[in-house]
Amino acid sequence: MAARAGGRVLVVSADPAHSLGDAFAVRLTASTSTVRIGRRSLRAVELDAGRAFARWMRGHGRALADIVEHGTWLDRRDVDGLLELAVPGIDELIGLVEIVRLASGPPGFDVVVVDTAPTGHALRLLASPRAVQSLVAVLDALQREHRIVREQLARVSRPDASDRLIAALEREAVETRELLLDSSRARFHWVMLAEELAAEETADGLRALEDLGVRANEIVVNRVTPAGPACAICDPRRAAESKVVEAVRRRSGRTPVRLIEAELTEPRGIAALQRIGAALHSQVAGQAGVKARAAAAAGVRIFRSASSPSPLSAASLAGTRLLFFGGKGGVGKTTAAAAVALRLARDAPGRRMLLISTDPAHSLADVLRAPVSDEPRSVDGAPRNLHVRELDAPAALAARRAGLEASLQAISAALGSVNVGAVVNQSLAELVELAPPGIDELLGVLSVLEARESYDTVVVDMAPTGHALRLLEMPAVAREWVQALLRMLLKYRKLVRPGPLAGELVALSRQIRTLQTLLADRRATRFIAVTRAAELPRLETSRLLSRLRRLRIATPILIVNALTFNDRACARCKATQRAERRELARLRVLCRSHRCAIIEAPLAMPPPRGIGSLGQWAQTWIA
Amino acid sequence: MFILDSLLIGSIRFVLEKVVAAAEAEAQDDTSLREQLLEAQMRLELGEMSEDEFVDVERDILARIRELKGSQQGAFSVSAADKITGVDVESFEDERHG
Repeated sequence: MAARAGGRVLVVSADPAHSLGDAFAVRLTASTSTVRIGRRSLRAVELDAGRAFARWMRGHGRALADIVEHGTWLDRRDVDGLLELAVPGIDELIGLVEIVRLASGPPGFDVVVVDTAPTGHALRLLASPRAVQSLVAVLDALQREHRIVREQLARVSRPDASDRLIAALEREAVETRELLLDSSRARFHWVMLAEELAAEETADGLRALEDLGVRANEIVVNRVTPAGPACAICDPRRAAESKVVEAVRRRSGRTPVRLIEAELTEPRGIAALQRIGAALHSQVAGQAGVKARAAAAAGVRIFRSASSPSPLSAASLAGTRLLFFGGKGGVGKTTAAAAVALRLARDAPGRRMLLISTDPAHSLADVLRAPVSDEPRSVDGAPRNLHVRELDAPAALAARRAGLEASLQAISAALGSVNVGAVVNQSLAELVELAPPGIDELLGVLSVLEARESYDTVVVDMAPTGHALRLLEMPAVAREWVQALLRMLLKYRKLVRPGPLAGELVALSRQIRTLQTLLADRRATRFIAVTRAAELPRLETSRLLSRLRRLRIATPILIVNALTFNDRACARCKATQRAERRELARLRVLCRSHRCAIIEAPLAMPPPRGIGSLGQWAQTWIA
Repeated sequence: MFILDSLLIGSIRFVLEKVVAAAEAEAQDDTSLREQLLEAQMRLELGEMSEDEFVDVERDILARIRELKGSQQGAFSVSAADKITGVDVESFEDERHG
């Protein structure tokens, strides 16, 4: 829309599992591409955090290395080794930096539209400038001695490259924070589905945004069922959706709520997107509603009368130690994970099981309709041998703070950095309060490591695709860091005794190695991908399966969720079913090449919530 | 009288010094062996040592630690301090585990 109006527009995807190119039906890369809109055009790009970071390092790596050398007794080789390590939370740390870089590059843009990662990590992205500021304080402390020496002994008062880097990082962080908080320059549009889980996540997300000082400008409820004739599927759908929309409107206060109707085929390509944009733009907030038929029976479920043609064999999962559930946001990961966990726990009452959510935007409590906290606990109505936990990464970090502080002090001493102790503590305190990028993946891995010791089976409900993959990559990253530190401790052991820090690092290294062995064991560890029979989810699933194969993680199962099996459907639903069957066929081809089995799970309307309802739904697709 | 007293004091001091010296020596040897073990563990995690090599090194070090403890136990059991002064001789073993 903005491009049509003649502005220069840049669209950026900051979700590591990019879908922007799919939506435009244009192949996008990490360099800006031109997308034609009639006679005008816009530029679009899908961020590649790894490449962006490498580019940044090419420009600033030397100054950064100098700072570390100045502040420690490490030599150049040591420092170069450290700077080659992967960085947890890299997508969020480099994300805003890269967006600002692209936005200020040629030809200069009037509007930059950012498609962020799902909720939890979008919030981490917005918190990243403050995280950078905390890290800059440590760099500054490392540089301090050198600065003093230069000024007093060499009588040089001009800032060197390192000083300039520190100043630039601080300045950019401050500017970015101000930009995000300036409502005349930055706007936030929250997009959700008309589903209860999405509504809960939205309420939590908006509250978190407000904590960051940001107010959403608009809430867009997507894929709302349009008005139509009586239909066994559409009617309960509209009834459920209208309840959700009403609730959203009630809680939204002054924030306008707009609706986008579901389309038969997913809108892909410029023409389709323009149509949606126009409809959205012309809509007066608050007027559109979901026209639910008052006569629709409440609590109607839609299941296929016979069971699913391809059910999941619970027996095939018996004996699994780690079961990961991942997939695109909104496809039903959490619901499927809960259903499977309940069933496995029931089948094997002697096995201790843990169902844990590592998605910072948790949905387990909403799916189970039961209180779930950071303390693993059994749930009323569920088998006693099943414990449930929603990892609260910021809280878990805060709980470890004392130990972390001690470790960081020991590391500072081991690296020979003087005078940074107080600053490191201060930065740690700030980061602990902030919930910095990477924290969910780091603590996610730690919590799985811990769980292994107390539970026979751990079912992990992961964040959506992009960050699920980051979590699975984290053990290798963590091990590299641990090894780098061990190498330093060994090298400088005559200067500083390795001590308890070395012992802890050795223990941690062992645990990570054990976890990596477990992850590679195709019978003990399985990844269950969840998707829907629609184009964008299928495309994302295809990329997910390829990445999992490269990580050597067994993915024997793909659950295709929310399939409409019912025959008593309106013309629209019948057309949807035909589209679903086409997508299913494509998914079957995909699964043949990845050697995974397809499990078909039916749509339930309203979506299954609560133990009883989950069990009923599970019976139709878990054998 | 004085001669007996000074002989007594002298011998107490002599014994106490010996006890302290033995304790220090034992602690140092033990520490250095434990450090060697930690170093070996670090090298193993860094891939600088193979599992087999590590197992050999670990076995040797643990044997030497045991040896050290064994010889110290023997020395204390015949300590003259017990008899002369009634000084409570603690085993430094206990102190470490305490």
